[in-house]
Amino acid sequence: MKKILTSLLSLGLAASAALAADAPVNAVKVSDDLSAITADSALWSKAKFSTVTLYPQTAIHMNDKKANEANSADKAKKAEVAALHNGKTIALMVKWADGTKNVQGLYSSDTYSDGFAVQFAGTTKKAGPLPYIGMGSDGRPVIVHLQKATASVYEPNGNKDVSTQINRQQTGIFGQELKDYDAKVASLAKTDYERVFVGEGFRSLTEIKDGSVASAAGMTYGVGGWNATLARPLSDAYMSSTGTVPVAIAVWDGDKLGRNGLKNLSSWVAVNLEGMKPDAKIVAEATEESKGNAEKGKAAVDANGCAGCHQITANDAPSFMGPSLANVGGYSTAAYLRESIVKPSAVIVPGYNRNAHSNTPWYNIEKGKRVSAMTDFGFLDKKTVDDIVAYLKTLKAEVE
Amino acid sequence: MSKRQLAMVMDLNKCIGCQTCTVACKTQWTNRNGREYMYWNNVETYPGTGYPKNWMELGGGFDAAGDLQPGVIPNLEADYGVPWDYNYESLMGGAADSQHFHPNVSPTWGPNWDEDQGAGAFPQDNYFFYLPRICNHCTNPGCLSACPRDAIFKREEDGVVLVDLDRCQGYRYCIAGCPYKKIYFNPKISKSEKCILCFPRIEQGLPPACAQQCVGRIRFVGFLDDEESQVHKLVHKYKVALGLRSDYGTQPNVYYIPPTESPAKFDAEGKIIEGSTRLPVEELEKLFGPAVHDAIKTLKAEMKKRKETGVSELMDLLIAYQHSDMFRLDNNYYQQVAREHKRNPLAPVDTRYVAGKFTKAGGHH
Repeated sequence: MKKILTSLLSLGLAASAALAADAPVNAVKVSDDLSAITADSALWSKAKFSTVTLYPQTAIHMNDKKANEANSADKAKKAEVAALHNGKTIALMVKWADGTKNVQGLYSSDTYSDGFAVQFAGTTKKAGPLPYIGMGSDGRPVIVHLQKATASVYEPNGNKDVSTQINRQQTGIFGQELKDYDAKVASLAKTDYERVFVGEGFRSLTEIKDGSVASAAGMTYGVGGWNATLARPLSDAYMSSTGTVPVAIAVWDGDKLGRNGLKNLSSWVAVNLEGMKPDAKIVAEATEESKGNAEKGKAAVDANGCAGCHQITANDAPSFMGPSLANVGGYSTAAYLRESIVKPSAVIVPGYNRNAHSNTPWYNIEKGKRVSAMTDFGFLDKKTVDDIVAYLKTLKAEVE
Repeated sequence: MSKRQLAMVMDLNKCIGCQTCTVACKTQWTNRNGREYMYWNNVETYPGTGYPKNWMELGGGFDAAGDLQPGVIPNLEADYGVPWDYNYESLMGGAADSQHFHPNVSPTWGPNWDEDQGAGAFPQDNYFFYLPRICNHCTNPGCLSACPRDAIFKREEDGVVLVDLDRCQGYRYCIAGCPYKKIYFNPKISKSEKCILCFPRIEQGLPPACAQQCVGRIRFVGFLDDEESQVHKLVHKYKVALGLRSDYGTQPNVYYIPPTESPAKFDAEGKIIEGSTRLPVEELEKLFGPAVHDAIKTLKAEMKKRKETGVSELMDLLIAYQHSDMFRLDNNYYQQVAREHKRNPLAPVDTRYVAGKFTKAGGHH
């Protein structure tokens, strides 16, 4: 991390091309039905894979000691992403390396599964940049499709199958009857852990259980990694697509005790739908590199005392009040960074230890709304903001 | 902070470690559906490893500045113990020798693995006492603070801490955050579960199963702000009931009458050392804080007063002549709460998200 940063600063702006945001993914148009596509489908041979970089989530710090140790290296990952569409449905394939296959559903209290998620931007009435990458923000919803690698899971909740919740030893039956009972319980087991959520900000993520989103996701473990697929409508009650669909991708590694906050995620990636006019605004936002000067930006970050509340690079000591900025350049768009500097309350991200220091909270409640504890830097001139954004865009982990 | 707070007081002088509370809880809530290994109520031997193993060393809770401390999630086999069972079918006859009656796993650990071991040298100064533990339904719960999904909530009307299973996604940060390790992961449904203070019973004016079944009559239950309640008198009036490990900063609402009575030590000849006591007060201070000295003083003084004068409200309370005198739970209160909130008096979950705040097609159920 330090090495990259030093070399970048010495090269100045010339380095920005090497650290450019991920290029748009081109969704190849097909006429086939995609609604139940799996990784085995022959249609994927038509798709074009692009590289997307997934950065470790380090904005906030989770409270699991062992997991934090397992993730202390904080390296970014590469994923290969391809897309197909037929005008109604978009299908994505995400491939990433993972040396160990971890599934959930085992009788264990401290093991975790591999998994992946694709985030889409929901319909918004608010003008402004794309929703915040971490679960959206007030008035700018996101839809998140999550798939975990699973063994059979028996989930009785909601099915009213009370009689099969009894332990086999307590059924009072033996022999063939007990075998039949076991078979019945096994048949009720779900073998899939696919979830769809909608959220408008950290903590608000709510599972959509009413069937109002149609989707099909799956994960297949191959040689040294996962092939994961997701198909969903291009437009539904939650989102409507133009010629470009912004997506963000996250993957979890069960071997590193990954779940929720312990994951690798991408910034918004533009997916251009073949045969349709690309949405220039979304493409520009997903690929924008700040025009500023990173070296001057670093000086401005020092001068404005950002380190008082934020950990700036992974080498700095954690500062508990604001989120850590150590990977902010990896998973944030320039537009989001700019907005966060001049309008800190537009998206309120929890502090690094969000349960820390009750005397210095990361937000205050004013007129029933959360207001960020961060100073409003709207007084900075546009050029300085651009410089700061250029510097922040350099803050990201090396690829493993 | 909730408007009112239910509390439980456990009198450790009276606990005989019979585990009736444990069984009452287990048969009511945790003998099925992935909860088999959980003991929402357990009775451990102190000093000892406790349940889960060495829970006091697994982190969680808050430091003096109010920062949530990182914690460790216990391992099912090594720290909780796999619940083993037997091949009862072999008892029905006809089984070959190789299939004789045996446990289905080879157990290496379980709750109460070190039951009654305690500390000290037998017979000179060995000692132990029983420590029954349930969720402390803390005023500042570590589990609630740790949850990144707002899936844990504290009920306004009585301070009971519950998991909204609709929101829980099984991340287990709550387990790391709870310094008492009294919230558990259900691997079958991939969600966290915990003691619910038998709220469906409480709402009907009945004490939790563990308290109702307690043969030693050690458990008092009531509202802390109800000045007529036994818990109020023990906690606030006489100040003889103290929270367990209050230094974790979660403000627990289960209180303990510290054990004051223990036998004298023996000398090398096996003779009683007059005036000695086996239970080191330092151990009690570690569990219940410096206030334990005053609590013991009050308990001893009231005991003496009762012996001499026959009158002591505190001793009468602790004797608990009538089991029903140990609980003050007015079910009309819950009917009133339900009316105020226009909801089903037995609504099992917080309704904040049940309507599906962000979902489009009529909410989820």
